[in-house]
Amino acid sequence: MIEAAAVTNVMRALGDPTRRAVYERIVGADEITVVELTRGSGVTQGAISQHLKSLKQAGLVVERPDGRKVFYRARPEGLAPLVDWMSYYGTFWRERFADLRNLLKEIDP
Amino acid sequence: MNSAAVKQQTQEIVVEEVFPHAPELVWKTLTTGKLITRWLMEPSGFEPVVGNRFTYQTKPAGAWDGTISCEVLEVVPNARFVYAWRGGDDANQGYGSKLDTLVTWTLTKVPGGTRLRLVHSGFAMPRNDTAFQNMGNGWRTIVPRIGAIIKEEE
Repeated sequence: MIEAAAVTNVMRALGDPTRRAVYERIVGADEITVVELTRGSGVTQGAISQHLKSLKQAGLVVERPDGRKVFYRARPEGLAPLVDWMSYYGTFWRERFADLRNLLKEIDP
Repeated sequence: MNSAAVKQQTQEIVVEEVFPHAPELVWKTLTTGKLITRWLMEPSGFEPVVGNRFTYQTKPAGAWDGTISCEVLEVVPNARFVYAWRGGDDANQGYGSKLDTLVTWTLTKVPGGTRLRLVHSGFAMPRNDTAFQNMGNGWRTIVPRIGAIIKEEE
């Protein structure tokens, strides 16, 4: 079950809110360095580096060394294990249940 | 039949909730086009009769126009409603990939209301990690939803 392991890895990597925030910044930036990511993040550069390492291991980001700088960018395919039909419909049906609950309440208070 | 092998290849979504309403009313909301429109989506050509084919229009992806094609397979008034839910395209991965699934609604009368159970079954797990190749920049719109997705799955 390679697929299931991939899903777990991605979820573990993005389950941490700080790490998810780092990831979202990388997604929004095309390419970004550790220094830039640390700026305004409220955590240390060491912590950011650890998060980058986890994101890299989960296949969510890739690095591109350029001289003394390392640029990070998101790897869209990394999200694939997470965003399939199943996760889409998992959210979809739960939202529909909430709408159904409201409709029933309206019809039969 | 090797059920262990089948289980490895497909997955299902189960959502269950007790509603403080009679099964007859819950049934009506599941099987009346106008009411379905109000909580799910507007069905086209829907009739709660075995063999009926109807569609839902959803967001297109790649070669797929976004049409979900359904077929009513089982109708047991106030108790059980099953339809096929098909869509997608072989060329897509992730959202918009080939989808041949089953939606099963089960209603059970319980004290004070109705237990409604949805089983959406037959999901093939992602086959490879080349998903999103056909999505262009569309994948970025998914990122803000990740938090919610992770909460749902765990």
